[in-house]
Formats: sequence, C-alpha cells, structure tokens
Amino acid sequence: MIPLSHFLFISATLFCIGIYAVLSKKNAIMVLIGIEFMLNAAILNFVAFGKYDKFNASGQVFALFAIVLAAAAVAVSLAIILNVYQYYKTIDPTRINKLKD
Amino acid sequence: METLTQDTISLLAIVAALMPLLSFAGILLVPGDRNRGSFFSILNISTSLVLSIIVFINVWNKPQLHQQIEWFTIGDWHFRVGILLNNLSALMLLLISFIATLVHIYSTKYMEGDPYIFRYWAYLGLFCFSMLGLVITDNLLLLYMFWELVGFSSYLLIGFWFTRDTAVQANKKAFIMNRLGDLGFLTGIMILFTQFQTLDINLLFGSGGFFEHARVQDGLWTFSSNNMNAVWLTVAGLAFFFGATAKSAQFPLHTWLPDAMEGPTSVSSLIHAATMVAAGVFLIARIYPVFNADVLLVIASIGAFTAFMAASIALTQNDIKRILAFSTISQLGFMMLAMGVGAVAPSIFHLVTHAFFKCLLFLAAGAVIHEMHHVKEEKGLDFDHQDIRFMGGLRKHMPITFATMLLASLALVGIPLTSGYLSKDAILIQSFEWSATQSAWAKIIPYSALFTSWLTAFYVARLVFKVFFGELRLNALFNQSFSLHEAPSAMKFVLIILALFCLFPVFSLNPLHYEHAWITEGLPYISGIARVNIFHTLIPATVNIAAVFLMYLAYKWYADNQKAPDFSGSPLFKFSQNLWYMDKLYKSVFVNGIVGLSKASFSFDKGVIDGIVNLFGSIGVVLASIACWFDRKVIDGLVNATATFSRTLGSFVRHFQTGRLQHYLLFMMLIVLSFFVFKYFSHAI
Repeated sequence: MIPLSHFLFISATLFCIGIYAVLSKKNAIMVLIGIEFMLNAAILNFVAFGKYDKFNASGQVFALFAIVLAAAAVAVSLAIILNVYQYYKTIDPTRINKLKD
Repeated sequence: METLTQDTISLLAIVAALMPLLSFAGILLVPGDRNRGSFFSILNISTSLVLSIIVFINVWNKPQLHQQIEWFTIGDWHFRVGILLNNLSALMLLLISFIATLVHIYSTKYMEGDPYIFRYWAYLGLFCFSMLGLVITDNLLLLYMFWELVGFSSYLLIGFWFTRDTAVQANKKAFIMNRLGDLGFLTGIMILFTQFQTLDINLLFGSGGFFEHARVQDGLWTFSSNNMNAVWLTVAGLAFFFGATAKSAQFPLHTWLPDAMEGPTSVSSLIHAATMVAAGVFLIARIYPVFNADVLLVIASIGAFTAFMAASIALTQNDIKRILAFSTISQLGFMMLAMGVGAVAPSIFHLVTHAFFKCLLFLAAGAVIHEMHHVKEEKGLDFDHQDIRFMGGLRKHMPITFATMLLASLALVGIPLTSGYLSKDAILIQSFEWSATQSAWAKIIPYSALFTSWLTAFYVARLVFKVFFGELRLNALFNQSFSLHEAPSAMKFVLIILALFCLFPVFSLNPLHYEHAWITEGLPYISGIARVNIFHTLIPATVNIAAVFLMYLAYKWYADNQKAPDFSGSPLFKFSQNLWYMDKLYKSVFVNGIVGLSKASFSFDKGVIDGIVNLFGSIGVVLASIACWFDRKVIDGLVNATATFSRTLGSFVRHFQTGRLQHYLLFMMLIVLSFFVFKYFSHAI
C-alpha cells in the first residue's frame, strides 16, 4: 500500500510546478496550465485524504466536484484570455500591466 | 436836556457804547474796497461822543442811574443785567469816547496808505465798544466779558502789522499776560458770588449795599446767613487786584506793555490813554469796598514799586515809544498807589489828566515817527526811525508838534499851571498824609513816589531835548541835509485840541489846588485821611524845584551840545537798560521753565510711556515669533510629518503595484509564505 506521504509529496511537487508556471511563464495559456496543476494538486490531496474520511468516498465526490468547477473555471479563463488578446493583441502577462490603474 | 427821563439816558448810553460795534460789524460784514471805513468809523465814534456828552451832563453830580433787565433764570434765581451810570462811569464814558474820536481823526492821516486799513477801523471799533461797555455795565460778569473783549481787541490791534514777527510776539505776550490777570478777576468774581449770590455792582458796592452789611468778626466774614473764613475777603481783593495788575501793566505783569509798542502808534496812544490800561484802575475804583486794609497796602506798595521801576527803566531807553510806554507804566503805578492809600478821587483824576497828556505825547511821537519814517523811505536809508539818537533839532521843522509835546511833557512832569500838576501832586500829598498814620515801613511808599516823580522829570526832559533840540543827528550820520515837515493838518488839529486839555482851566479854576477840581469834587472822597497842611505847600515846592533843576541838567546834557556824561558802563545803567532783567528773568524762569517742562514731559513720554508701549509691543512680537516658531516647527511639522510619512509609505508601497498579474501573485505567495513562517516560528519563540 502506498503511504499517504507519497501522495502529499507528489501533490506538493505538482503545486510547486504550478506555482512556478503561473509566476514565470510568458504565455497566458501556460499560466492557465499552471493553475490547472495547482488545482490538480489540491484534488489529489482530496482523494488521498479521502481514505481516512468518516463518510464513504466523500473525498472522491469532492474531487469530482472540484474537477467540474475547474473545467468551468478553465472555460471562463479561456474566454478572458481571448478577450485580453483581442484587446491587447498579446497574451504575454508581463506586457499587460494595466492592473495598476 | 434836563427833562430827559432815566429810560432815555440809559438808552443813549447803550447806543453810545454800541456805535463803535456798528463800525466793527459794518466794515467787516459789508464788502468794499480796502480803503473803506474811515468816514463810517469817525461818524460812529462821533455819535458816541455826542451821546456821551448828553449822558454826562445828565448824570454828573446827580443821583446814580441804574436800570436792569432780566437776562436768564436758573431755578428761582434771576440773573439781572443792566447799566449803572454814576459820576465815575459817566466820566469814563466821556473820556473814552472823546479820546477815541481824536485818535480816529488822527488815524486818517497816520494810517493813510496802509493796505488793510479797513481792518484797522474795524478793530478800533471793537476796541472802543469793549471799553465803553466795560464802564457802563452794572454786573461783574458782563464787566468780565468786556474785560476779555478789551484784551482780545487789543490783541488784534497790537498785532495789526501781523507780518512783522515782533508784532506777533508782542500781541501773544500781551494776550497771555492779560489772560493771567483774567484768572485773578474770575477768582474774585467766584468768591463774591459764593458769598453774596449776586454779581450786581450796585447791590454789592453801592451805598447801603451788601458790603456795608457784611461783617468781619472772629476770623469770619459774615453776610446774612453766609459765613466764610475772613481770609477769603483778602483773597478776593488780591484776586481782583491781580486782574487789574495785568490790564494796567503793574509789576509783575507789566512786561507786555512796552512790547505792545509794536502796534500802530495811534493804537498805542489809545491803549495808554483811555482804554485798556485805564480798565484796571477803573475796576479798582468800581469795586473799591472789596479791598480791605491789607490788600490796600499791597496795592500801594505794588503801585509805588512799579512807578519807580518803570521810571528808572525809562531813563535809559532810546526808542521814543518805549520811553513813553515805561512812563505810562510809571504813571499807572502812581494811580495804583493812590488807590492803595485811599485816594480814589485823585487816582481817577490822574487817570483823566494822564489820558489827555499821554495820548498827546503818543500822537506827537507818532507825528515825529511818521516824518522820520517818511525821510527813511524817501531816501532809502537804513536806520531805526523810532530811535531818539537819530533825531534832534526837530523843533525847527515841526513847531506845532514840538509845542504840544512840550506842553504834554510839562504836564507829565507836573509843572504848575498844567493838569498834571493838579493830579500828580494830589496823589503825592495824599500819600504823604496817609503815611503819617502808618508804620515806618509804609513811609517808604510816598518817598519813593516823590523820588519817582523826579526821575520822571529827567527822562521826559531827556526825551524832549534829544528829539527837538540840538541838531538833527541824521545830517551828521549820513552827511546829507534832511528837511522834515510839519504833521498833516488832521494830526496837527488833534494835537492842538489835546494840548488844550493839558492846561489847568479845564479841570480846576484854581491852578494850585487840586481839591477844587471838579473831578475831585464829583467823586467819592475817602475822608479817612487827615489833612496835613504842611504837605500841601511843601511837597509841590519840593517836587517842582528838584524837577526844574533836573530838567535844566537834562538840557545841559542833551540839548546844549555839551557832552553828556557816559554812564553806559555802570552796572545800574545796564540794569535799567535791560529792563531790570525782568523779561530775561521771565524768559528764563517761566518760558524756559515751561519749555523745559514740556521737553521733560516729551522725553518722559518718549522714554517711559513710549518705552512701556514699545515694551509691550516687543513682548507681543517675541510671543508672536515663539508662536510662529511653534506653529511652523511643531504644528506644521506634525502635519508635514504625517504627510511625509504617508508619501514615503505610498512611494514604498507603489513599488508593489506593478500592474502585472504575476507580480501580484508572487507577492501573494510571499505573504502567505511569510504567514506560514511566522506561525511556524512563533511557536518556537
């Protein structure tokens, strides 16, 4: 049986990769992928901790719920990126600094 | 004439007094050319004269005439004013209007060509009005008003040539000196009013008047239910006398009169003869009962001293008008002396005779000055045309002036057959008679008067001989031959009329006995003086023998071309020439004293008062700068510090606001991480 700590390591690694991608990529799509990494890291934790749950499979249910939410979030994010591209003619987040206004 | 009612006489007297006021108002209110006024003034003053003659005839040696109207009422107390005509006021009324008329006529020639002559006539009118009003009024308050008016109009006349600085100084001096005297007069009025609740002269001083009912007992001055410390009676007498002192130019307030010579000579003659200086003597005669024995002694002493002092000054003066001015002071001293010894009638008698001969002396001197000035202007020379040292030998050029002036001088000296002999010897004899009953010290008074009358003889003789005898000194001075002319006929005519009044028949048919003079008989005779027969022969003889000798000496020295001995180095001469240093003393004590006081006040004001104010100012400034510093540094500092802090904070924080999504996320992560670190290590801590 695979111990819990392995899951947590993988989850943490995934999260770190996600964070790295989000913070360093010069492409909004890649940032989005980073976000998905982090989401999946969290989902993995849900599933891993689900083993110790008092209720049956509530971790898995919550993971499924989160995946659905992530899919919805990706849809919204892509729509935002599309609009950003139309407006700025670029999706490089380092060149979009209008948030400071 | 005899049938005139009292109302008519009063009315005539009032009109006589008001006529000169009409000239004053008429000339100043009706515009016209600058030479206007002479005819109008002479017409008015002549009307006054005619009315005065009528009044005089109807009043002289008749019961006195006293009429009043109510002026104002305060509560149930009525203030009544009116006119009081008795022998004294009728005589003065006549004298003043007569002299004034002559002076008016004289002035037509003397003042001819003056650019502002209309003002001269107007002021002269005001002057005569004040003096005429002064003598007929029956009330001390009105008397005081006219007294002030006399002072004011003399101020106008003395400063008539107001472009000369000396004239301006002189009229200020006269006015201020007279104001000092007015203070005394006012004090006297207030004391009398407090005691008697009336200022009516007849009620106070008339026969059966309040003064006869008032008693002095046990140091209290009592009248009906009013009590007052007896010293107030003396104070009142001294106060009134002080008033008279200023007006009549007695020591110590005499210094204005010589300076008043800056006015036109005709004005001087009016001031010295009938108006102004006569007012003081008149006042004393009018309110005579107010003076008690102590005050009378003071009056006599001051009179004697003034007479002697002025005569001694007159010895060394060189200005023809100043000599006459000091002679007036001296003669006024005689009048005061007579008042002091109780010889009221001789005093007034001397006032009248003196009025004529002094007026004549001045007008004759005016004629001389007029001619000298004429020469000076014509030839364009530069010399003092009033200085007797430049004159001489004028009797050949101006015989009428010489003859009249000689007559007036003899009257002034008191040579028999002149009017002055009668009045002056009356004063001398009565003062000797008075001193017979007095203490030893009081005997100095008649002897000093006797000595003074010798001095008079000498200085008058010196004046006449220097001006009219010898040779005209101008000739030698400028190496030219000048010829002077007799005065114009208007002036000559006046001189001749006045000269007639210097002779004895006008006053007494007996040339040697003053007691039979009609003026002496008509005035209240104070009978307290015992007649001492020996004086009546001895004194006139002594006076006249010495006077004739002194005049002969003066003739030798000044007329007979003998060299006069030179006294100019002696201290007495200097003392006399510098007017006994009286003016200098007044200047250094009073004028400089007041100037010094003002300067002290000024420096006190400057130093202390201003210092305190400035100190408060400086304290305010210091406080304000402290507040300013506090405001700038502390209050503003706090505000600025807040602002600076916010700005620094802002500019620090703005670095995080890059506008890049990834930076924001990075910071978010760092903050979350730091929370973790903090939570983690806080357990360790």
